[in-house]
Amino acid sequence: MKKYGRGLATIMFGFGYGEGFPDHSIASIEIKEDERIVIRTAAADVGQGVITTVIQIAAEILRIKPDYFEVIQGDTHTTKNSGSTSATRQTYFTGNAVKKAAENLLANIYHYGSLEFRSNHPEINVEDGKIYMYDDPDNYITYWDLARTLDQNGKKLEAEGSFFPVTYKPDQEGQADKVYVAYTFLSQVIEVEVDTDTGMIDLLNVYTAIDLGKAINPKNVEGQIEGGTVQGLGMGMMEEQVIQDGITLNPDMSDYLVPTSVDIPKFKHYLVEDEDSEGPFGAKGVGEPTLIAAAPALANAVYDAVGIRFFELPLSPSRVKKALQEKAAEDE
Amino acid sequence: MANNKYDVKDYYCKHTTRCTVEGEKKSKRFVGRNVLKADAEDKVTGEAVYPNDITFEDTLYLKVKRAVHPHAFLKDIDISEAKKVKGVVDIITAEDIPEVRKFGLIIRDQPVLVGIGEKMRYMGDALAVVVAENKEAAIKARDLIKVKVEKLEIITNPFRAMEDDAPDIHPDGNILITHNLDRGDVEAAFAESDIIVEKKYQTQFIDQLPMQNEAGTAFYDEKKGIVNIWAATQWLHDTQADIAQSLRLAKGQVRIIQPTIGGAFGKKEDVSVHIHLAIAAIRTGRPVKFTYTREESMITQSKRHPITIYNKTGVSKDGYLKAWETKFIGDTGAYASSGPAVVHKGMYHATGPYDVANIRGISHAVYTNNTYCGAMRGFGTTQGAFAYESQMDILAEKLEMDPAQFRLQNVYHIGSSTPNGQQLNHSVNAEETIKRVMELSGWKGGQKE
Repeated sequence: MKKYGRGLATIMFGFGYGEGFPDHSIASIEIKEDERIVIRTAAADVGQGVITTVIQIAAEILRIKPDYFEVIQGDTHTTKNSGSTSATRQTYFTGNAVKKAAENLLANIYHYGSLEFRSNHPEINVEDGKIYMYDDPDNYITYWDLARTLDQNGKKLEAEGSFFPVTYKPDQEGQADKVYVAYTFLSQVIEVEVDTDTGMIDLLNVYTAIDLGKAINPKNVEGQIEGGTVQGLGMGMMEEQVIQDGITLNPDMSDYLVPTSVDIPKFKHYLVEDEDSEGPFGAKGVGEPTLIAAAPALANAVYDAVGIRFFELPLSPSRVKKALQEKAAEDE
Repeated sequence: MANNKYDVKDYYCKHTTRCTVEGEKKSKRFVGRNVLKADAEDKVTGEAVYPNDITFEDTLYLKVKRAVHPHAFLKDIDISEAKKVKGVVDIITAEDIPEVRKFGLIIRDQPVLVGIGEKMRYMGDALAVVVAENKEAAIKARDLIKVKVEKLEIITNPFRAMEDDAPDIHPDGNILITHNLDRGDVEAAFAESDIIVEKKYQTQFIDQLPMQNEAGTAFYDEKKGIVNIWAATQWLHDTQADIAQSLRLAKGQVRIIQPTIGGAFGKKEDVSVHIHLAIAAIRTGRPVKFTYTREESMITQSKRHPITIYNKTGVSKDGYLKAWETKFIGDTGAYASSGPAVVHKGMYHATGPYDVANIRGISHAVYTNNTYCGAMRGFGTTQGAFAYESQMDILAEKLEMDPAQFRLQNVYHIGSSTPNGQQLNHSVNAEETIKRVMELSGWKGGQKE
């Protein structure tokens, strides 16, 4: 028999390394004569989309479409430290570093542009890579022209930015004024059906609301929610590396099960965007929080379905079935 | 061993990506829009270059002889038969690299190679590196290496590890690190609580399981004195620093070039192939390549910590959280990795997003002879959430309250303080996430739709 249940979990996650650990990111941006804008960052893109995120941030500040951007990453000898892609920190830290670099670069564009136009910043506008006086938009120079002019004087049209916020190390009792830079919150409802004969859990629907400040790229956020949740559901119902007397018994993907496309439930999301964080455009990190609620929401849903509380993960079919049989024996 | 025919600059991967606006109307805003992922096309078409895709002419292949017992002294290692295998170029053991130092993310406690008289502490410890003209020869030679060990007690869980008579896995004892939380008056608050729930929770070992196993290529540019490594890491400059200190090189002598890397989920924070590659590249003067098998990856590289969590929670009969006492015991396995930071981060989040004025907690990360545990998405708080959110539902049922309502009346707002005493002064919308998810899912006061 299949029994329906639903469970709720609400979680929080303090992101960045925090705890007084020096946590920062450095980025630079250069406008090239050949119509390219090159962002340099060591931030590793592990599929979460930091490359795209920093392009969008720089494009917004420099008021030019993303198509012109290139990102050079991942070379210790051509990029500076951007910290790790971990701790849900790259959008916040490298996003802010790139934003600062872009702002510094925009200031340079205005500075050198004002020399070209023999004017001052308030009379100048930039748009789509063109620099012009408000009262004469047809008489413009491009970013590429400006880069060329600077190059003739041995200068580059470039800027660097860094972001290095303060946190404090907790004392002996775990207390400090600011332990993490900010917190992301997420609530999730998961609906399941539990097969009381086999102990198998069918995932039906996942509803998620995340407090993320601002989605720089809503599609990427949706991807994070779905990917993170599925990884969390793997923890909740199937994944376990079995290590017995120090020996792993299932070191392969036929015995270590993870969710595949046939296990994926339906998703609906809501993004709570108050733009109130100190991240770029008010953004907070989402990477880790998207995984955390899944296992407890699942456990709560299974309890709702069959009245059994599990205190140990994962809720594998064998563990669920055994518990169902024990409960049936008790009920008799 | 200098060989000028390898011009390494030809192989630097310039990771360049172009980004386009997908079917969007002309707009001056780019933040908040669904800009097409910059690296999507390369990945979908197979153009993207991953570490394992980089091969030089004349590349040598590495295989590592791993520990034969989870906790044992290495008494002898015999490579004589292995050396005779056709195609074997070099077999490196600890006695060949006396100058090389241990490595590790936070505490440098991992040996590059276990030497005679030293201990292997889990099945992933490296005993020898075989370098050969092809993988088959490397595997054949690796399997001919003979090892003698003196077996020690295998510590399989942190509770045994913490007992007085348990053998020390590392010289400073088996408790890697302890943290505390103490805020308010827990005893008084429990005395005032109407309902107290006390439960124990247990989580499991999990592999982050990125699709790509650890892989890399290296080449030593003798003229410049730089060892170039193409391999994945989640933090280039940190991995560079760890390799440099281990090999006693200047940071500038270690260049890591990161091609497309794909998923990591915490597993690629630790050094994997990097140092073995660098040593082999420097010794042979030829390009070298090392790719883990899935089995090797699962046994050797970090896991999500199994954590035993004790939660004791007191509430008033009208459903307000009064007191919370918690204990986190994390099995950190054979080496520290991110362990000194993971377990207590879980404890710092032990009460979830809920106001609890009185909290006391203790956490221990404990060495065992299991595969070492490190970073994985959620970093201790994932394990903690299973415990606190189960606890919240148990309490709600005892209070005969709707679980959503119980959460709503305890959830953080601007001005709330975390267990660390951090006052939340901006961007706190936990309550709205509960209300929105209730709307989305049709959750009305505990009534199923």
